[in-house]
Amino acid sequence: MSRITVPIGPQHPLLKEPLAFSLTLEGEHVIESTLRLGYAHRGIERLCQERTYVQNIYLIERVCGICSHVHTTTYCQGVEALLGIQAPPRGLYLRTLLCELERIHSHLLWLGVQARNIGLETIFMYAWRDREIALDIMENVSGGRVSHAVNIVGGVRIDLTPEHRDTILKQLDELDRQIDVLLGVIENERTFEARTRNIGVLTEEQIRRYCVVGPVARASGVDVDLRRDAPSFPYDQLKFNVPVRPEGDAWARTLVRTLEMVESVRLCRQLLTDLPDGPTTARAKRRVPPGEVVSRTEAPRGEVIYYIRSDGSDKPARVKVRTPTLTNIITLPDQLKNIAMADVSVVISGVDLCIACADR
Amino acid sequence: MSQSLSQIRPFEEILAALQAAFPDDEFTVEAKPIDDTYITLVPESVRPVIELLLEHFDIYHLSTITGDDVGDGVCLLYHFWSGYGITLRILLPYEDLHMPTLTDLIPGASYYEREIQEMLGVTFEGLDIPGPMFLPDDWRDDGGPVRYPLRRETGA
Amino acid sequence: MKPMSPLVNVTHRVVQWARRKSPWILHFNSGGCNGCDIELLDLLTPRYDAERLGVLKEASPRHADVLICTGPVTRQSRDRLLRIYEQIPAPKWVVSMGSCSCSGGVFYGGHNILGGIDQVLPVDMYIFGCPCRPEAIITGLARLLEKIK
Repeated sequence: MSRITVPIGPQHPLLKEPLAFSLTLEGEHVIESTLRLGYAHRGIERLCQERTYVQNIYLIERVCGICSHVHTTTYCQGVEALLGIQAPPRGLYLRTLLCELERIHSHLLWLGVQARNIGLETIFMYAWRDREIALDIMENVSGGRVSHAVNIVGGVRIDLTPEHRDTILKQLDELDRQIDVLLGVIENERTFEARTRNIGVLTEEQIRRYCVVGPVARASGVDVDLRRDAPSFPYDQLKFNVPVRPEGDAWARTLVRTLEMVESVRLCRQLLTDLPDGPTTARAKRRVPPGEVVSRTEAPRGEVIYYIRSDGSDKPARVKVRTPTLTNIITLPDQLKNIAMADVSVVISGVDLCIACADR
Repeated sequence: MSQSLSQIRPFEEILAALQAAFPDDEFTVEAKPIDDTYITLVPESVRPVIELLLEHFDIYHLSTITGDDVGDGVCLLYHFWSGYGITLRILLPYEDLHMPTLTDLIPGASYYEREIQEMLGVTFEGLDIPGPMFLPDDWRDDGGPVRYPLRRETGA
Repeated sequence: MKPMSPLVNVTHRVVQWARRKSPWILHFNSGGCNGCDIELLDLLTPRYDAERLGVLKEASPRHADVLICTGPVTRQSRDRLLRIYEQIPAPKWVVSMGSCSCSGGVFYGGHNILGGIDQVLPVDMYIFGCPCRPEAIITGLARLLEKIK
């Protein structure tokens, strides 16, 4: 059989972001694939060296629009460690509340996109309609739907009144009900299962070799979650489970992410009911003493790691960002081997790509 | 990592094993925020140390490799995670920016090494580079921007 | 201009009416952070539902009327952006959505950034915001359609 090369991207209905694939097919099956990143490379690491620590918060927030809060959280966490200060408990609770809400919104977004790529447009519409509840809560808390600008070095710039809290708890109840409906669909709907079972299987051995992180790793039986393994305040005070599945296919990834949403709603409720009193921000100096820090958090897609080195001035000497998508995307050529062309969309979106994150 | 908490070895054990295996080497150890311990090595020791970490302690999760132009060379930091952070630090002088690749031990290192090669000009021997990764195809064609964006003398 | 015959005049007006009533959009992200893209996709979802206004998101440049660009232009995506613009059949309009595609946004001055998309394409409508709210996008599209008249 002769071989054909099919290019996908950078403009393609499957992809929201520019990324170029080149698939070599023999008949209907993919033999090999290559990918080209770099369409969204904005040179953020270099730009960070030219701006002050405070200006960098606005830049770092725009590494990615979907997981913007977790990037600024990791960055502010690192700078606070360099300064030797700790954000007050109320500030950390509010920061974590937004982290978990962002996890919910990101997973609902992904679920909709995955369903749309399979062809199940109704799930896309339902998931994004329910996502609006999460965005409403985030807008209630921070003033912005997608870009929150909540983190500052030393804490957060927002606060919640008791009325706010009660409204948000009611909205969380509604979100919980809708996520339950979606969970029922994923567990029981045979069309969804037929399209995602045994597609794009990654074994535990591959996860270890490629150092894969996040829900993709948890869906292949590797039980790793930085919220539990490197517990910083307030995660060490909260009760939550980490869903892990052994199958390693696209269906397991969907199930892991949906169960994570259920856990995130649980976490949000705990954060709101146990919210401590007190200030939300600690004073932070503009000039950071010389030093270096490695800051890690668990983003919706996995481990985000920042390395920040300061030389005593008000501008960082080096900010290194490594996002989970860059780690997970390396598994795509392996996953795409021997996949039928019709299943390529399921595999590509199963990894939950955020190319803006990967390219920076 | 499917390590349970009981399998995570305290850092002192790892350091003792390294000192026993490499008695001639000086290991400078520093603890830094947030939960990391840095070990400064010479470039030739990196591969043997990582092999030991992989085989004896099952420390396989390489979070990333940071490249940093510190003024008197390019500093490479290998960030590992095993319940706490272990970072291996080496300094490569500008005249000799060569390192052997880690991709035969840890295939997940290939993107990190390619990025450092592109942004800082460090050559990783044995690394497979099919083409530019983040920088565009026509990066230098029109006499345009600097060769290595993250190097200091180029105005970074 | 030669006066049009009555039949051509009517057909012309019907076509103009159809163009105004159903702008089919093509979305291209030339290097943005994705924030504006998800707000654009939000337009198609039940809360904002731009489809009731006739807006349909198309997959191929050949089917589209309006090119909506998000993100600053990076050196790598410049040629692709131009090629997509050329592939859209005339008459076509370009909407620059978000601060980054209007001017480069937060990333202005980056080593891989050429600026906003008006460095590369002729823009008909600028919609500001970082990211733009869906309401702003709908207003921008409505104003563009008035311009088409």
